[in-house]
Amino acid sequence: MFRRLHRTATLLALVAVYLPIPSSLLARVHPDTFHRQAAIVTQGISPSAKPEGYSLRWVPGSGDGRTARVEVSGLSLGALKALQNLRWNLADWKRVLAIYTEQGNSAPASGLPPMLGTYRVQSGIVSFEPQFPLDPGVVYRAEFRPDQLPGSQSAKDARLVAVFKPPAMRQGPRTVVQQIFPSSLTLPENLLKFYVHFSAPMSRGRIYEHIHLRNDAGKEIELPFLEIDEELWDPTMTRLTLFIDPGRIKRGVRPLEEIGPALETGKSYSLLIDSEWKDGAGEPLQTGFEKHFMVAAPDRDPPDPASWKIQAVPSGTREPLRVTFPEPMDHALAQRVIQVVTDSGREFPGEVTLEDQERRWVFVPVNPWRSGTYQLLVPTTIEDLAGNNIGKPFEVDLFEEVQRRLATPTVKLPFEVR
Amino acid sequence: MKRIASCSVLPLLVLGLLIQGAQASKLTADMKEGKPTLQSMGPLAFGPEGILFVADTKGAAIVAIATGDTTPASGAKLLKVEGVNQKIAALLGTSADQVLIDDMVVNPISHNAYLAVSRGRGPDAVPVLVRVKADSQPEVVSLEKVKFSRADLPDAPVDGVVGQGNRQSNPRRESITDLGFFDDRVLIAGLANEEFSSTLRAIPFPFKSVINGTNVEIYHGAHGRFETRAPVRTFVPFTVAKQPHLLAAYTCTPLVQFPLAALKPGAKIMGKTVAELGNRNRPLDMIVYQKGGKEYLLLANSSRGIMKISTDQLESVEKIEAPVPDGNKKGLPYETVESWTGIDQLDQLDSQYALVVRRTEGGSLNLESLPLP
Repeated sequence: MFRRLHRTATLLALVAVYLPIPSSLLARVHPDTFHRQAAIVTQGISPSAKPEGYSLRWVPGSGDGRTARVEVSGLSLGALKALQNLRWNLADWKRVLAIYTEQGNSAPASGLPPMLGTYRVQSGIVSFEPQFPLDPGVVYRAEFRPDQLPGSQSAKDARLVAVFKPPAMRQGPRTVVQQIFPSSLTLPENLLKFYVHFSAPMSRGRIYEHIHLRNDAGKEIELPFLEIDEELWDPTMTRLTLFIDPGRIKRGVRPLEEIGPALETGKSYSLLIDSEWKDGAGEPLQTGFEKHFMVAAPDRDPPDPASWKIQAVPSGTREPLRVTFPEPMDHALAQRVIQVVTDSGREFPGEVTLEDQERRWVFVPVNPWRSGTYQLLVPTTIEDLAGNNIGKPFEVDLFEEVQRRLATPTVKLPFEVR
Repeated sequence: MKRIASCSVLPLLVLGLLIQGAQASKLTADMKEGKPTLQSMGPLAFGPEGILFVADTKGAAIVAIATGDTTPASGAKLLKVEGVNQKIAALLGTSADQVLIDDMVVNPISHNAYLAVSRGRGPDAVPVLVRVKADSQPEVVSLEKVKFSRADLPDAPVDGVVGQGNRQSNPRRESITDLGFFDDRVLIAGLANEEFSSTLRAIPFPFKSVINGTNVEIYHGAHGRFETRAPVRTFVPFTVAKQPHLLAAYTCTPLVQFPLAALKPGAKIMGKTVAELGNRNRPLDMIVYQKGGKEYLLLANSSRGIMKISTDQLESVEKIEAPVPDGNKKGLPYETVESWTGIDQLDQLDSQYALVVRRTEGGSLNLESLPLP
């Protein structure tokens, strides 16, 4: 699910030098393994030409290359003792050793604070450990100011600088849109939602800029989706729920909004996901995705489980149980909420898939079927493509709704296994 | 968002401060000290005594944190941080595009701003609480050793899993779209990512147990039908006719009023739609404030300048029951403050100023104090 690190990528780690840093001094290393990279980094930072004997270096941590600490050595005994006794606060430490981020190729903006971390004085070394993992694509610049040490006689403004660039993430297969549900090519005018499934975790934040609904003339439909800052992701961030804004679903006999309904019967549309959307690793999608569909008449009828067809299964086998709906059902809900129980009401576990454009529910039991009565438990919250529940259309007035609401939240469909 | 501000309630706040010492032990007595587990940080809201409520959507919980930030603000101070996302990114050692500000609230006692920040945008993002004090320098609030309590939210009635073996998971999640505190209750608006259902919960604080979500049903004038399952985008607790109410803003911006007393487990509530504010926008944040002896609502939204709504007629305004055609407005009158553009987050800083997170043309975010209109 998560990408491995690109361990052969460039690791840039650098030697302490007086500013300005000549680019020739930036040692680019290209070892085979991360451990070897770290070793070379250490070697590269061996004391050399430090007028005052100070050395500043980055020490990569073991593992994924997202951790590293900064070490300063060569401090006098007097300075070390003083540092241990001074009980400095964070602001004092930052004057001596500060770590800044440089983003992309741009120079660091002035006035940006140094990053947070923990300072230590141990075994003659001053170290800084960042509070957060280091990010690929960001250059970290450590600045050491010897003149800020207690009792220092260093020249004012003298500083040592060492930069570190964490290895890039490995580019395995690029992330793609795997599927968009409903999978049917004809959708009702009052369609309530889409589910977009990705092959790897995605990134959140301003995602709606990457999702477009276009009519058959290629014109973009304005604000068709319910845009929610929190965004409706599943916990793995591989599935996004995209609700059509209820204010854009055509109701009654005429559209009441100046902006009009998002979808209209008889017309065709495309749902587009653009490739600029970045995945969880910060990489754009391999390619965009387009789902074409036609729009049919609105569906205002609640699903009726009495019309579902349950195909008989033989006992002693693990033959799939197939339940056919007369209309496509909501993919996520049909997959998750329908349960099989035994006659005694115990859950009969199995694996569920949906076929035939979410018109068929297929259940493969973990254990073989036994002769007797089973039940299909269907919560009334299950929805069709228009969000109609069992016993409750999506749009109803309150009085009608009260009368029509079923007393029980679950519909039971018994079936025999022989 | 966020907190109460109403004539009848403000004196209570003052009284609350006076008896703060006596109450402190009561509100925090059951809290434990340590590091709260937060998988994410969504909407924020302040309660009394510097207690910050944090919604953790990933963890399906509300965490109450005693910030200890209870020194009253001394005089007026205006916060201003240009490029607040860049500064926070520098502190957290990442790039500005990996910093999301998910909410911003002002501590009503100290007038310090608190920001719910996500470091990273993927599933491994780390939630961070950032504070901006009078010096306008963002700082990370350490949660290593704080007094806190936690209320886990109940999930869907049917809590099934999909997939097999290691791939088994429950893809259902309920996002918390807003959070507020009123009297002795934390109010939580939520929206699920599968069934289209909006819940509004009220949890007594200090936390004891979480009650089932109360389903909310409202009349949505612009659709000519009863809208049974519209999600609450933002709400503010408010006193109408001496009774505590919620004013909630929905998609396509109807403003709906609910009596808080009606929020009971399993209850079906019908709110009173008091205004249709036109379409083509989505409400983001809402505050209530007073100016010139009058009370106003300020509603930030995605597509227009900010809306300023007088609450004078809130009690008497006729309920909207008929369809409101062609995106017209009905109910409470409002004016649009055009100059307030690009507002992502809004809260009240003090009696004179609002605090906003504002998006500039270059995409940078500023934290700014703006005089209340």
